[in-house]
Amino acid sequence: MLKITDLEKIYRTEDIETVALNKLSLEVKKGEFVAIMGPSGCGKSTLLNIIGMLDDAEKGSFMFNGEEIIHFNERRRADLRKRNIGFVFQSFNLIDELTVYENVELPLLYLGVDAAERKQKVEAVLEKVQIMHRRNHFPQQLSGGQQQRCAVARAVVNTPKLILADEPTGNLDSTNGNEVMQLLTELNEAGTTVIMVTHSEHDARFAHRIIRLLDGKVVMENILG
Amino acid sequence: MFKNHLKIALRILLRNKVYSFINIAGLALGIAAFLLILEYVSLEKSVNQFHANLPTMFRLLNQNSKGESWAQVEPGWATKAQERFPEIKSYCRVAESVGQGVVKYEAKNVSFREKKVAYSESNFFTFFSFPLIKGSASALQKPDVVFVAASVAKKYFDQENPIGKTLTLYNQFGKKDYLVEGVFANMGDLSDIQLDFVFSLETLKNPANLNDNSWANLTNLDSQYIDTYFQLNQNTDYLALEGKLNVLRKELSKENDDITFRLQPFSEIHLASSFSDTYPHNGNIKYVFILSGIAFLILLIAWFNYINLSTANALKRANEVGVRKVIGATRNNLVMQFLGESILVNLLAFIGAIFLVTLLQPFFNEIIQKNLSLSTLLSSSLWIIGLGLLIIGSVASGIYTAWGLANFKLIETLKGKLHKSAKGIFLRKSLVVTQFSISIVLIIVTLIIFSQLKHMQNQDLGMNIKQLLVIKGPEIGKDSTFKNRVNAFENDIANLNFVNDYCTSGSVPSNWYNFTTVGFTSAKSKTGDEQKPYSFVTIGHKFLKTYDIPLKAGRSFTEQECDVEWNNNSKVLLNEKALEQLGFKSANEAVNAKIKWDERYLDVIGVVKDYHHKGLQTAIDPMIFYPFNSSSYLTIKLAGENMNSKVATLENVFKKHFSGNPFEFFFMSENFNKQYETESQYSTLFTMASVWAIFIACMGLFGLATFTVESRTKEIGIRKILGASVFSIVQLLSKDFLILVSIAILIACPIAYYFMHQWLQDFASRINIEWWYFVVAGVLALAIALLTVGFQATKSALMNPVKSLRTE
Ligand SMILES: Nc1ncnc2c1ncn2[C@@H]1O[C@H](COP(=O)(O)OP(=O)(O)OP(=O)(O)O)[C@@H](O)[C@H]1O
Ligand SMILES: [Mg+2]
Repeated sequence: MLKITDLEKIYRTEDIETVALNKLSLEVKKGEFVAIMGPSGCGKSTLLNIIGMLDDAEKGSFMFNGEEIIHFNERRRADLRKRNIGFVFQSFNLIDELTVYENVELPLLYLGVDAAERKQKVEAVLEKVQIMHRRNHFPQQLSGGQQQRCAVARAVVNTPKLILADEPTGNLDSTNGNEVMQLLTELNEAGTTVIMVTHSEHDARFAHRIIRLLDGKVVMENILG
Repeated sequence: MFKNHLKIALRILLRNKVYSFINIAGLALGIAAFLLILEYVSLEKSVNQFHANLPTMFRLLNQNSKGESWAQVEPGWATKAQERFPEIKSYCRVAESVGQGVVKYEAKNVSFREKKVAYSESNFFTFFSFPLIKGSASALQKPDVVFVAASVAKKYFDQENPIGKTLTLYNQFGKKDYLVEGVFANMGDLSDIQLDFVFSLETLKNPANLNDNSWANLTNLDSQYIDTYFQLNQNTDYLALEGKLNVLRKELSKENDDITFRLQPFSEIHLASSFSDTYPHNGNIKYVFILSGIAFLILLIAWFNYINLSTANALKRANEVGVRKVIGATRNNLVMQFLGESILVNLLAFIGAIFLVTLLQPFFNEIIQKNLSLSTLLSSSLWIIGLGLLIIGSVASGIYTAWGLANFKLIETLKGKLHKSAKGIFLRKSLVVTQFSISIVLIIVTLIIFSQLKHMQNQDLGMNIKQLLVIKGPEIGKDSTFKNRVNAFENDIANLNFVNDYCTSGSVPSNWYNFTTVGFTSAKSKTGDEQKPYSFVTIGHKFLKTYDIPLKAGRSFTEQECDVEWNNNSKVLLNEKALEQLGFKSANEAVNAKIKWDERYLDVIGVVKDYHHKGLQTAIDPMIFYPFNSSSYLTIKLAGENMNSKVATLENVFKKHFSGNPFEFFFMSENFNKQYETESQYSTLFTMASVWAIFIACMGLFGLATFTVESRTKEIGIRKILGASVFSIVQLLSKDFLILVSIAILIACPIAYYFMHQWLQDFASRINIEWWYFVVAGVLALAIALLTVGFQATKSALMNPVKSLRTE
């Protein structure tokens, strides 16, 4: 599904340069569930953002579905992104002014899906994450777990091929965290590729493979049973 | 998608009430001011435009070699010109002001002094497009006929049918009866020609009706008193015709003067075509420009508020933007969304503005002395430009905010709070500085106009006009007993215990001169001096005493000297300006000297100290006082208070001797100050504009302060925990804003100085622009800004630091 070779990302501020990714190479196959781990500041989020085409790299190659996309401009990346990738964040990132239903519906609106299909898809996914009964609530009225389930629902409503999750359980207690992990596993079993950044060894065990980073490099890979 | 945008837009407005209110109210105030002023400008633009023949209508002007021009021309030219030049399709002469007098309806014994009176050409109602309510336009072809305005018909005849009634006109042409043959609609705000009575000019063609005023003969080519309008054939080159008219004038004129003809397009009579257009105008293009400028500036301040508040608010919404982008929003999606929000806010503001306009309309009309309403906007096509401007403004400010938001770096927006870019901060600061510069300029302008006005009202006029009441002389009943009745009346007045002094005169201060004329020389005069003008005032023997005007040398007229026939008199008084212009070195030199007026010799018996016969806008003119017992004005110096009962007593005495005449009076000080009406209007207008501007600017400042305080809540909390005092925190938060206002003061002062220096040049007697105007304006602006920001700053400084830390 994606193949990254010798990727470099350097942050420059006035006084210092930070090498966030240092000639990093990585390959993820279709249908895989990959966990990325490593100490704070090692470049996990940076990597995930580049994979998610939210950010661009300095150098290297990034093949997505057999296509080199490293030179893609913002517009083409955005197009690729909205058709193929769903995001789940640690801080949920729901829009406060929209209800649960509206938040989940939004990606479909941007894709120009017609009303009847939207309704059917949104309701289906809300059922799946079990917050249908909260569909007309605003994010502030939900628990953290419910918010994250809503965020997952929003990430998958347009059936993306790839889900990127940056510490999806970081703000949740273990019960709620497990529910979210369960959801991700189900999605993966249904055929979606999942790449997840996590600090939790427990969560990482849901994945097929753990990639460990240090100072912007892959230092170890564990393949799980 | 649209529904989603509208929904979120409304939710955001409702969630952030203070911000929404400031944003919408600020815009509404700006748009309201803009609309009110647009009404006025629309009205001004549409005056006179209703005449069906407008494109081919022209007014004939006389112009002298100094470039001064006026509309009163000699009556004979119109006929001569039409005979000679076929491109003149028709002409219409209107003799205004010479017809003024008293109109009486004998049957009911009601009479009024009427000013809006004219003798008009028989084609008046076809040449111009004044609608007739009753009667036929052709009736004006007959002599001794009058058409009256609807309001006049009501005033004289109430419910009765005015047609066929007889009105009597008393004026310089004597007493004459006229048959009412028509009623026209009141001429209203949209016409410069303002008449209540249209008498048939045919009447004056009969020499018997001229009452020995041979100058008024309609074939005369040497006395200027009539307005002449031409209708030309389509596509006539009017400038070429102007040239031909001047050739005609050279050929036929008896006087060898420096006057030439000018043709003024009728459409340009109200507002000049440009600032350099020196022809006479009834409107004031400067006023229109100043007002339009103010309207635009206030709107600008409101838009700047909008931009500043929206971009500040946008920072809070960075995360939302990021999330939307991640989910699949394109830049276009986002621009459309924020543009939609901006249009919604502007729409709400527009509705608010309409409401405000309706509310403020009566006050504004009072100031501007016009009858305006929202429907006035439709009277000219200006509203299209206005609406366009509003739409462009709201879309542009919307796009600006939307663009800025849509261009945030995606990754940064996702991290939650955005750090404001240096460019954005600079822009915001510039907008605040501009807003305050405009406001401070307006404050300084207001202060200076106000001071100039006060200066003019309080300046020593060289005479004492306190307690002076002026009665206008009688017009009706000038028969053989008139002279005796005037004497008896004056005796009765003199015997009233509250009358300190009284005098008669042919004109009074603030009401112009009797006339202004040339042809005076003295032994000291040089060639060419005979072309210099002198203003005449005919006075009775007690004039100087009643007005408290001192003599510099010599003496005033005696009672006997004032009784001498006009042509037999040989004595005059001069003022100091006239003395200089005649070449005398001192007052003593002039006294007993002879001056020559055309072929007559006059003795100077005294020199009057200069006093302000007219308002302080103009310099004192050279004046000549001529002794004459005129009954035009009677000035009375009253003692004590309680004017109402005194006026009533005077009215009784007046009616006793001059029954049938309207009793008309005014207080000299009031009449004199009326000359400052324009300045007083400017003063009110600028006061309003500057209050308005600073209010909107401060709303914006308040909003920005709120955002600043919000975004620094954590910092404030930490500082407090570390021991910062409330005062130091207020200082910290207010400092930046006060620096901006200070920069604005530095920018505003020279601009205001430049404009007000120019403005003051129009006044012969003017104030100096003192440094303290700028200090007062600056301190005021700083104080208002400090109050606005300080409120927010203090509130946050007083907040419990633990609480403020937790909210982060
Ligand atoms: N916008 C930025 N400007 C400068 N340096 C940055 C920026 N974003 C990240 N970095 C730096 O890049 C490095 C990698 O950051 P990254 O956010 O990818 O770490 P991480 O592995 O996700 O850490 P954590 O587990 O704490 O989330 C860090 O050293 C960080 O300081
Ligand atoms: Mg991270």
